[in-house]
Amino acid sequence: MAKITRRSFVGIMAASTTALSMPSIAFGALPRVVVIGGGAGGATAAKYIAKDSKGAVDVTLVEASKRYYTCFFSNLYLGDFRNYGSIGHNYYGLAVNHGVNMVHEWASSVNSAEKKVYLGSGATVSYDKLVISPGIDLKFNSVNGYSPEAQSIMPHAWKSGTQVQLLKNQVKGMKKGGTFVMVPPPNPYRCPPGPYERISMIAHQFKKTNPTAKIVVLDPKNKFSKQGLFMEGWQKHYPGMIEWISADTHGGIKKINTSTMEFETDLDTFKADAASVIPAQQAGRIAMNAGVNKGDWCPIVPASMQSQADENIYVLGDASIAKSMPKSGFSANSQAKVAANHIRGSLTGSKVFTPRFANTCWSLVATNDGIKVGANYDAKPDKINKTSGFISKTGEDSNLRKATYEESIGWYSGITSDMFS
Amino acid sequence: MKSKFVFFSIIILLLFSNKILADDKALAGADFEYGQHLSGECVTCHNSTGLGQGIPKITGMKTAVFIKKILAYKTKEKDNAVMQMVADRLGEEEINSLALYLSKTK
Ligand SMILES: Cc1cc2nc3c(=O)[nH]c(=O)nc-3n(C[C@H](O)[C@H](O)[C@H](O)COP(=O)(O)OP(=O)(O)OC[C@H]3O[C@@H](n4cnc5c(N)ncnc54)[C@H](O)[C@@H]3O)c2cc1C
Ligand code: HEC
Repeated sequence: MAKITRRSFVGIMAASTTALSMPSIAFGALPRVVVIGGGAGGATAAKYIAKDSKGAVDVTLVEASKRYYTCFFSNLYLGDFRNYGSIGHNYYGLAVNHGVNMVHEWASSVNSAEKKVYLGSGATVSYDKLVISPGIDLKFNSVNGYSPEAQSIMPHAWKSGTQVQLLKNQVKGMKKGGTFVMVPPPNPYRCPPGPYERISMIAHQFKKTNPTAKIVVLDPKNKFSKQGLFMEGWQKHYPGMIEWISADTHGGIKKINTSTMEFETDLDTFKADAASVIPAQQAGRIAMNAGVNKGDWCPIVPASMQSQADENIYVLGDASIAKSMPKSGFSANSQAKVAANHIRGSLTGSKVFTPRFANTCWSLVATNDGIKVGANYDAKPDKINKTSGFISKTGEDSNLRKATYEESIGWYSGITSDMFS
Repeated sequence: MKSKFVFFSIIILLLFSNKILADDKALAGADFEYGQHLSGECVTCHNSTGLGQGIPKITGMKTAVFIKKILAYKTKEKDNAVMQMVADRLGEEEINSLALYLSKTK
């Protein structure tokens, strides 16, 4: 008797449910969904379409990398609360448990008239519905003097990959009592509290190994997410270490010089011993290629996450204009479920439920000092509309802050297993 | 061999749907498929393995226990900003559908 492997078992199950419940399409080709980008938005969408359609929809996920390192919790890696391996995930679960076809290649272009995606290898895949969730690209020239070459000297570490390891090495190797300069991005950008959590984690690292070090933050903004909470935490845990300078105070970053490590502003020229520069951002290039952008980002229909430019294309996550939701992994995961339900409904006639969106972002300020902000949203014709929300309060007791941190660990485990298993 | 498999599947399905019908009477407006759909929102935090530190497992919970716990957040009797917000927008139909689905899920 032939040995039934897990993979062939999944195949048999899928085939028999198709034959039982979908006799009409068993004779023709299955409807095809192609998803570009296997991150928070794309992996979730691919999984839910495949899982819930039980073989009635053919799902292909085009993702350049074999391993996805989450940007979420990469700050905790900087602060030594996680090791790098623990934030890396593979796609076996999607293939084996849900029958998603994994294609590890770059999608190089989209022909929306012919409904085809061209891959780096020259192959093409056809779709009935296309999901685009490519995350962000960086606008290097938004900071005068920054460039793709400069990213190895002043890492942005704002995309998945090895940048964050580089940054950590530079933080740990910085000279005793030196100055770390950080340039956060202008709005809108992925993960609004992210740069400030990063500052907290670098300060945490310095406090242990380089306590006389200084951190200067040259912000292109005058305020930022969870500002009161971060400022309170910095004062409490890292007194005198962090100097945050608003745009109005420094008057704008005129130029940075990666060989002298100087940052020129109206206020002063700051000299760094190590630095991180996070430039302005835009939707991943493939979205522009597909023609679903309007300027830097992609407008969507709030009820379904369909592109306003093409009803057969859905744009998820950071690349979309999902106002009033922030660009976060949680948001992308939530949007993916709305899109998956809508796509399946339009391809198989399954029930389409009223869209509901949510987001919560936790940040770690210091050991056992977690803070959070979150909101619920519904779909209005012109925007994703915030219906209720909460934010941690200043002066909260340490037990609550510890519980909040523990929740974030639970969430990380939850969202990554939701995406990948 | 295959027809036997189909036969047993049908029997199991019938038993299963009878069970659902029985619970349906007790839980006003409860719909298994709606509960499954809604649970997508929960699993972003509630790991299906229940192993996630800081966030308890919610699958396999008895319907009455589940409803009691959700209502405690909804009425703000129990304090947790995240869960109060989650419970805030769940109406009776949503709570009952989730109760039905989660009680039948490992
Ligand atoms: C430091 C930091 C901390 C963060 N912390 C949090 C947090 O605590 N909570 C939270 O919710 N969010 C957090 N975020 C934000 C979160 O990482 C993003 O919002 C989220 O990943 C967006 O999901 P996405 O699907 O839009 O893009 P991504 O997750 O970036 O996925 C895009 C994927 O598409 C692939 N891709 C792109 N173009 C192509 C192509 N042409 N062909 C093939 N593959 C392609 C990429 O390889 C990538 O894997 C953080 C971000 C940063 C930088
Ligand atoms: C943003 C993260 C998050 C989401 C989303 C979420 N929960 Fe929770 N849930 C929590 C946390 C954290 C706790 C523990 C709270 C506490 O300590 O009281 C919890 C506790 C619970 C409990 C009590 C468990 C027990 O045994 O005491 C139930 C029931 C529950 N959640 C149901 C749900 C349902 C149903 C959904 C989806 C509609 C959901 N949750 C969505 C974070 C979340």
